[in-house]
Formats: sequence, structure tokens, C-alpha cells
Amino acid sequence: MTTFWRLLGFLRPYRRAVVGSLVFAWLAMGMTVLIPWLVGNAIDAIDNQQRPDMLPLAVAIVGAGVLRLGLTVIRRLIAGKVSVAVEFDLRERIYSHLQALELGFFDSQQTGQLMSRATVDLQSIRFFLGYGLIFLTQNALTLLLAGAVMFAIKPWLAALALLPVPFVVLTAARFNRLSRPAVQEVQQRIAELTAEAEESVSGIRIVKAFAREQHMLGRFRGSVARVFDQNVYSTRLRAFYSPMLGFIPSLGLAVVLLIGGRQVITGGMTLGEFTAFYTYLVILVGPMRMLGMTLGMAQRAVASGNRMFEILDRSPRIASPPDAVPLPRGAGRVELHGVTLRYNGSEPALTDVNLEVEAGRTIALVGPTGSGKTSLVALIARLYDPSEGEVVVDGADVRSVDVRSLRRAIAFVADDSFLFSASVSENIAYARPDASREEVEQAARRAQAHGFIERLPEGYDTLVGERGLTLSGGQRQRIAIARALVADPRILILDDATSSVDATTEAEIKRGLAEAMEGRTTLVVAHRLSTISLADEIVVMDGGRIVDQGTHDELLDRSPLYAEIAEFGYEDVLFLQRDLEEREEVARL
Amino acid sequence: MSRISEFRAGRRGRLGREEDPATADPEAQGSDVAEDTEDQTNQPGRFAGTLLLLRDLWRLIRGEDQRGRKLRWLLGLLRPYRIQVGLMMVALLIATAAALAPPYLAGKAIDDGIRADDAGALTLIVVIFLASVVVLWAATYAQTYLVGWVGQRALQDLRERIYTHLQGMSIGFFTRNKPGVLISRLTNDVQALDSLVTDGVVTLFSSTLTLLGVIVILLALDVPLALVTFLTFPLLAIGSVIFRIVSGGAYRLTREKIANITAYLQETLSGVRVVRSFGREDRHLQRMSELNEENRVANMRTVYLNASYFPAVELLSAIGTAAIILYGGYQALDGKVEIGVLVAFIGYLQLFFDPIQQISQLYTTYQQGMAALDKIFDLLDTRPDLVDKPDAVDPARLRGEVQLDDVWFSYAGGGDAPDADGDWALAGIDLRIPAGQTLALVGETGAGKSTLAKLVARFYDPQRGRVLVDDRDLRDLRAGSLRSQLGIVPQEGFLFSGTIRDNIAFGRPDASEEEIRSAAAAVGADAFVDRLADGFATEVGERGVHLSAGQRQLVAFARALLAEPRILILDEATSNVDVQTERIIERGLERLLLGRTAIVIAHRLSTIRRAGRIVVLEHGKIVETGTHEELMEAGGAYSRLYGDWAEQAA
Repeated sequence: MTTFWRLLGFLRPYRRAVVGSLVFAWLAMGMTVLIPWLVGNAIDAIDNQQRPDMLPLAVAIVGAGVLRLGLTVIRRLIAGKVSVAVEFDLRERIYSHLQALELGFFDSQQTGQLMSRATVDLQSIRFFLGYGLIFLTQNALTLLLAGAVMFAIKPWLAALALLPVPFVVLTAARFNRLSRPAVQEVQQRIAELTAEAEESVSGIRIVKAFAREQHMLGRFRGSVARVFDQNVYSTRLRAFYSPMLGFIPSLGLAVVLLIGGRQVITGGMTLGEFTAFYTYLVILVGPMRMLGMTLGMAQRAVASGNRMFEILDRSPRIASPPDAVPLPRGAGRVELHGVTLRYNGSEPALTDVNLEVEAGRTIALVGPTGSGKTSLVALIARLYDPSEGEVVVDGADVRSVDVRSLRRAIAFVADDSFLFSASVSENIAYARPDASREEVEQAARRAQAHGFIERLPEGYDTLVGERGLTLSGGQRQRIAIARALVADPRILILDDATSSVDATTEAEIKRGLAEAMEGRTTLVVAHRLSTISLADEIVVMDGGRIVDQGTHDELLDRSPLYAEIAEFGYEDVLFLQRDLEEREEVARL
Repeated sequence: MSRISEFRAGRRGRLGREEDPATADPEAQGSDVAEDTEDQTNQPGRFAGTLLLLRDLWRLIRGEDQRGRKLRWLLGLLRPYRIQVGLMMVALLIATAAALAPPYLAGKAIDDGIRADDAGALTLIVVIFLASVVVLWAATYAQTYLVGWVGQRALQDLRERIYTHLQGMSIGFFTRNKPGVLISRLTNDVQALDSLVTDGVVTLFSSTLTLLGVIVILLALDVPLALVTFLTFPLLAIGSVIFRIVSGGAYRLTREKIANITAYLQETLSGVRVVRSFGREDRHLQRMSELNEENRVANMRTVYLNASYFPAVELLSAIGTAAIILYGGYQALDGKVEIGVLVAFIGYLQLFFDPIQQISQLYTTYQQGMAALDKIFDLLDTRPDLVDKPDAVDPARLRGEVQLDDVWFSYAGGGDAPDADGDWALAGIDLRIPAGQTLALVGETGAGKSTLAKLVARFYDPQRGRVLVDDRDLRDLRAGSLRSQLGIVPQEGFLFSGTIRDNIAFGRPDASEEEIRSAAAAVGADAFVDRLADGFATEVGERGVHLSAGQRQLVAFARALLAEPRILILDEATSNVDVQTERIIERGLERLLLGRTAIVIAHRLSTIRRAGRIVVLEHGKIVETGTHEELMEAGGAYSRLYGDWAEQAA
């Protein structure tokens, strides 16, 4: 119930409009109820040979119709506006909240789930607040009004005729409750079918290579059959309930025809009253089932609201303190003091890490998968807060400064090189949208990206990312490097940044990077010796701890782990001579 | 007067779907909700839309566009289910008739029962009335169920047909076409046909029948009064058609806008790490606001449209009622018309309104369905290339000798034509790989290494020259049986969703548990599999996402090993894996290559050194071949590559 009231809170800015649309809806319904009454009067007039009454009654019907037109148009405009505005507000609210939440939150959530909060749940709330409430009151009011008129005409006949109402409402609500999950399951199975089709198409080379077309066809058939079964189930529900909702009120009609008709015969009722009664029941069928459906709508909105508030009530855990100052000036000195990091209370990813990086130095972090390299660099930009200890940049604890100013001073290049669906130049200028074309191109040159960008269909204006041109991993990585260089950061973090480029390109990038690293603190997470060789000093990590630190030669002597990494790093480089364009081509083999 | 209309709307409309908050506006009664396809054309303006409608009708009548053929073909899908279709038609007829009865019976009850003071007749009429609503329920149930069943069956068949057709296409076809587009043929486009086949057909028949029925009944009841009632027809029909066309465009726009929002949301959620690490939240908030505003504006358009159409229809209904009351009333006063007839007329007014509105909606359904059908046809009309020759033979067990005999190949395809820029991907390759030899392909980007491998797998045919296996031209062999003796290990180790066991046994589904286990053990995959809670029964997820890159690679090795290919084509992975996995992969690879002909697109020095022969490619030509030592001594291209690396690594 609290959720319900909180949802109503979203209407607060529009309370006048909501009240207005309710009033208009009720008035319009009044007209709808008035028309059958007028028709009934007209029938009586005919029955009683009152010729002069006909014209006024017809005019009154048209008048009521015109009035209803005006009222409904206004009601629809206001209600539509409110609904759309509520949708707008809800979306802004949830999106800005998502943007405020810290990275750790997203680690524990599936993107699909979040998407569904911001789309499906948002829609069901919006529909309820925008239309559902109005429908609910409107239908309830229609039932009440028409019921009252009917009771005024003949109380006991009204009671009999309205007997089906609760059954229709309940049946409609039940149908709604059953069909929702059934329809959603259809959607779910179609999604599975799509996934199956996608696998078959992307894996076609394997299928053909192993000559397993029949097997895959069988799998696909299975998915298709699952969709079919569920569709038929959902159809059966609809086939049963939907006509049922028309059937039940017909019983009321039959009662009116039979008993009311006899009343007219015996003179207990006029023909006009009878007609009005009959017409009212016909009119009420809609509101009856709609009432059931809006009840279902309300239930769903509350369920969606619960899920959405779960996110909205989750306050951001990493935010600038109220008295935050900008990151003090400095050259990018980084210190970690006794840092331990646990993600969601699990085993520590980092344990008691102490590290000091002098401004302008380049440090390589090496170690096996899961040794904590990526976690360590994430702490510097305060993407996570350490569970214990402190991270200090240029003399300030990162928790005490304005987060944005800190992050603007740091640039990341991660191994997955995510690009946005935007032009190449927009992607490179991501950190500084005001960067000039020259700056963008210069950064691209340093990252060895200029050459291939020039060859793209529209050069720097080529749309890339999910909805644009698909670039190879190596190309994406080079753009990501350029993006980091445009940011002109104090601290540059390269997290396995050149894993997807071949040795020759890497050598070239290295030259560009060496220049770019000039005067910046740089942390490099690396597997390859060639990348490691960029560093002034190497930090060896294992199991979340720093196990050794020193130069290449020192470590070769005293660290067996480093020796092993170095040996394999050595072998690995040789013939990585292709760029990703070809690699992907071959991956399809 | 909307009892039966409600009844019918519920019967016809797909309640669940219309209500789907993601797609429908509850105030737009039965708005079109078909998914957008990837190449949605711009919506036409009001005038242009009407013109388009006329053009389409004209074309349909003249049979241009082959739409007639396509529609007939579509109906042909129903042929296996003609009994059900027949039953459905009967149910539909009965349901329509039953739906038409109540107003007439109500009128009858007034005239013959009430006004005639005949309680017996009244009871009889009410009994008939009750019978008609029961019949209506039953017939509607049967019809809805049958339509759903037949429609889904037909679409199921269609999906399988498209799928089978796709499987017959060559790899070249899959390279030329984006996967998303092909998948969309199987999903979205078939879905779009769903509305045409089920809702569309039923609406067409039941609405037309209802409309005709009402017209006949009204004329039979009273001709002048019927003509007065029909006066509302043109207004409603034209208004409805215009509304459907305009609102079709408006709704499409809202779907586009919401799709933009969803895509943007998805993107910023997947890229949240980048957003956070650059601290650029503001910019995304602003962009989202813009998209949100666009969506709001687009939605307001539908609000305006609905606010002008639906109330107007209601007004028209009130005017119709008033006209019947006024004209019919005077007639009744003069004793020319019975009061019951009047009441029946008012009852039929709505029955007359609904089908017109519904038929007007058909056009959108038809257009979307046809667009999907056109795309499906384009696909089905594409004949598979690289089909087996009629006299193609099944090779017996291959020895595994591979020979390329003056092979020229260009991706531009067709005859002797080279690529647009005058380049052949392969130019005059002569190469003989004795059975059992491991051949390492080495070369710069675009040198033709993967193309060479693809030709051996017969994913393409060369434009000139021949590819031979055991001295037989690949084009003379049945592709299926050739491939069953060919193993391919792609770089990223593509796995299918299912268990590890399923994946290893992919090439040989009849393999015993023992064999699967020993294949896994041979390549060193057993160690990690045994550590998993479910062992070989572990679900790998779509494309194997639950496994690491190194693990996927090992499973792919085991899969290839179990298939016991005579010829193995392997693209060595370059992804970074940790030191331990690296070693296991290296050993697994060694085991896999043992005792069979292998073509390896090699990246590791260890692999290259172990190869029986190294072939260095440059610009589609073989420039050097020999062992590592021989090539180092020769001091050519290979030794230059080696030199680059040595310098790099130092």
C-alpha cells in the first residue's frame, strides 16, 4: 500500500490536471449515461403519441453528444499530457539515479534487469498513473451512476440486472492475472527462439564444418515448438475468458428482457423505462470488464513500483562529500596505504596493498589473472572505495575530493575498449567535447589510429559503436587510447590496452605512448614484455597482494613468478602480425 | 450499444498484447503493435498515405509487385490445415450470425412480446436470446482457438522452412549478410506476418460479414430508416481510414523514439565503466533528456490524434442515434415503423460502426505484413550457391593429402574478375600438403592465410584452378561428407549453448561418455572441467560465455579431436590467457595436430617451430616455404619477421 501512495506521489506536480481530467471524465460519463435515458424518454414519447417531444429529445441527444465530445477531447488532452509528462519525469528520475550510482552497484546487477526496470516497469507505472486511475474512477462512477438511475426506475429489477457485475469484474481481473504471465512467457520463449536463431547463424561455420545441420534444425524445431505451445495456451485462455466476459452480462440482459418485459405487459413499467434499462446494461458491459482490467493494471503498477523503488531507494555509495574540494593541483603522485578491497563482502580482491608512485613515473602491474591488478587501478579513480586503508592522489584522500574533478584528472584505457554509438571524433573527444579537430587528430596519430580512421567511409565522422560501423578490437583499442590522450590526464591508466593489436602496430603505439606519457603518472596493466618494457618499475601481484617490486632485471633474478610471466610474454608476441579485421574474418571460419 | 462490440473486440483483439505496456497505448483501441523492422521507411503524410493506399490497392488488383503470388503462397501455408480452416470459417459464420441476433431479438421482444401483450412470445424470444448468446460464446471460443492454432502452426512451418533454406546457403552468403538481418527474418518478420495471418484474416472476414449482415438486416427491417442510418457510413469510413494512416505513422514514430531511448539506455549501462571513469555523467543525462523529450513530443502527437478521433466517433454515434430517433420516431408516431424496430436500429448502430473501424485498421496490418513477406521472399528466392553436383560422390575415409593447383580467388566473385581494386586474394597458389603434415601459414595482414584455409574447407570455390583432396577436386565431392572428415577450430572457440558434453560431442553425437572424457583428457580440458560443480554437465551459456577464453579454446580442441578429422584447419588464438592455461593449450594443441594433416594459421613461435613446414604468404602469393631452420638460413621474409619480433621482445 505504501508503494501505491508513493506512486501517486509522482502525480503531485500535476494534481490540478489530474483533478481536472477526473472531473471532465465524470462529466463525460454523465453524458454517456444521459443518452440512454433520453432514448428511453423518446421511446415513451412515441409510445404515448407525444409528437412535439420528439424534436427536443433528438436535439438533446445530439447536444449531449456534442457536450460529451468537448468533455472527452479535453479529458483526453489533459490525461494524455499528464501520462506523457509522468513518463518523462519517471525516466529522468530513474536515469539520473542510475547515473549517480557507483560502479559496484552495476557489478551486482544484470544489465537486462536494469533495462527492464527502466522500460517495462516504467511503462506499467506510467499507464496506471496516466490512464488507469482515470479509467478506474470513470468506470466505477459509470457503474454507480447507471446503477443509481436503474435503481431509481425499478430497484429490484436493477438489483437483478446488476447481479452479474461482480462476476464480470472478478472474471476480467482473473483473466488479466492469468493472461499476463502467459503472454510474457510467449515473449520469453520468442526471446529464446531468437537466441537459438542467433547462435545458429553466428555459428554456421562450425555447424557446416561438422556437418551438423540436421542437429541444429532439430534444436531450432524444439524452440519453435515451445513458442507454439505457449502461444496456443495463451490463445486458449483468451478464447475462453474473452467471450465469457460478454456472456455473463448477457444473462443480466436476458433477465431484463424477460422480467422487465413482463412488467411492461402488466403495466408495472413503461416501455421507455424498459428500453433505458436495456440500453444501460448494454453500455455497462464495457465499464465492467474495464474495471477488472484496471484493477489488474493497478496490481502490476504496484509490483513494478516495488521493483523500481528498490533501485531509487538504493542511495549512491560513492559520492563527493558535501564539503568536497576539487582535487588539489599536483603532478599525479599516487599512494595506497594499507588498502584492502572486498567486493560485496566476498574474499578480498586486494589485501593490505601499499604502493607509492612518484609523479611522472610509469609503473607496470603484472601477475596472473585475478591477482588484483584491475582492482588496484580502479581504486585510484575511486570507481570503488577500499574496505580498509586509503588512496591518496596528490596528497588528498580520494574520498575527500570532488569525484568528478578526480576522474577528470585520470584517463583509462581498458582492454574491452567500449565505444559509444557516435562518430569517431566524438568518441575520441569524449572526455573533452570542446577539443578541436586538430587535437583529436593529434591524439589519433599518437595512438596509431589516424591511418585507419582516414580510410573509414566517412573518416572521423564515421559512426561507430553498437549502432554504427563495427570496428575490430585493435581499432577500438587504438581509438580508446586516443580518447584517453585527449583527456590530457595527470594519471594515465592502461589496463591491458594493447592486447588486441599486432606487434608492429604495438611498437608504433608504444612510440606514441612514450611521448604521451611524458610528464604523466602512468600505470600499465600488462601481459606482454613489450608493454612491460615501457615501465620505469614493475610491480608483481599475486592473490591480491604486491609480492615484489623492482626493475626487469632485478625481478628476473629474484621473482620466479615474474620469470615465468616474462618467459611466456616473450613467446607470445612473435607472429601477432594481423590486425583484428582479419582476425574477425578468420574467427568466422 | 456496445455490448456486442465489446464482445467482439475482446474476441478479435489480442487482449494480452494490446495491453502490453511496452507496445500499446490503452487509449488507442487496438493500435498496431507489430515490431519495427530494421529498415522502416519514413511514414507518409496524410495525403501521401491516402495515395499510397490507392496505389497499393491498384497494384493488388492488377497483380503487380507479385503480391498476389506472395499472398497465394502465404495461403498455401494453410493448406495442410484446411480442415481446421474450414471449421474455423464455420465457427466464424456462426459467431457472426449469433452476434447479429441480440438487437433484432430485443426489437422482437418489444414488438411481438411486450407491445403485443404476449408473455408467451416474450419468454420464447428470451429463450432464443439466451440460446444465441450461448452459441456466440461457444462459436467464438472455437473460432479464436482455431485461428490461433492454425496461424501459429503455419508460422511454425514457415520458420522451419526459412531456417532450412538458410542452412542450405554457403558460408559466402553468411559473410555477405549481417547476422542480425538474417535472424530478423526468422523472428521479427515472421512475427509481423502473425498479425496478418491471424488478426488480419479474421478481421477481414468477420468484419465484412458483420457489416453485410447489419446492412441486410437493417434493409429488411425498414428501408428508409436504413438509408438514414447509412448516411453516417462515408463520414466514418473516410475518417477512419485517414486516422489509421496518420496514426500509423505517429505510432511508428513513438516506437522509433522509444527504441532510441532503450538503445541509449542499454549503451550507457554497458559502458558504465567508461562513463564513470571519465566522469561524464552530465553529458549522458543531457542526451537522455533530449531523447526523452523527443519521445514526449512523439507521444503527444498520438494523444492529439486519439483525442480527435475517438470522441468524434462517439459523437457520430450520438448523431446517428438522434437521427434514428427523430426520423424513425416520426415514422413510428405515424405507425409506419414499430418501436421495436427503432430499438433494434439503435442496437445495430454500434454493430455497424465497429467493423468499419476495424477494417480501416487492416490496411496497416496488411502493409506491415507485406513488407515482412517481401523480405522473407527475397531470402527464399535466393538460390543456394555451392550446391553439390548431381553426380557428387561421397569420399571414403580420406588419407588427407591436400593440393592447391594454380588457385586464384577473389572475394568479388564471379568468373575471372578480380577484386574491385584489381587484387586477387589468392593469386596462383600451388601447394601440396602430404597426408599427416602440419603446415603453418605465416604472413602479414591480408596476405591470404585465412582465405587459403577457407578454400580448403570449401567455404568458397576458387575462380581459377583446383583444390584437391586425395587427388579429387572438392567440387566433385559431397560437401557434407567432406566436412565430416574436416575439423575446424576457430580462434575464439565458438561454442553452442548446452553442456560441455554436448559441445564436445557436437561432431559425433553418438560418442560414448568414455570417448568424450578421453578426448577432453587428451587436450588437457579435463582438469578444469572436473573442477566445475557439474563437470561435463555444466551449461556453457550462449556462445560459451560462462567459460573463459582459454577454457572455450580447450573445449573446441576436444570437440575437434573427438570428430577425428583427417584434415584439421586451425586458427590459433591470440587472446591473452594466463601462463598456466597457455601451457595447457600448447600441449592440447600438440596432441590435436598429431597424426593428421593440419593447416594452422599460426601465431606462436612454439607452434611454428613444431610445424613440418612453414608457408609464408604475401599479397596472396607464396613467397617462401620450408622449416624454421631452413627459412632462417635463407634470410628472406620469414627471417625479417623474426628479426622484427626479436627486436620487439628485447
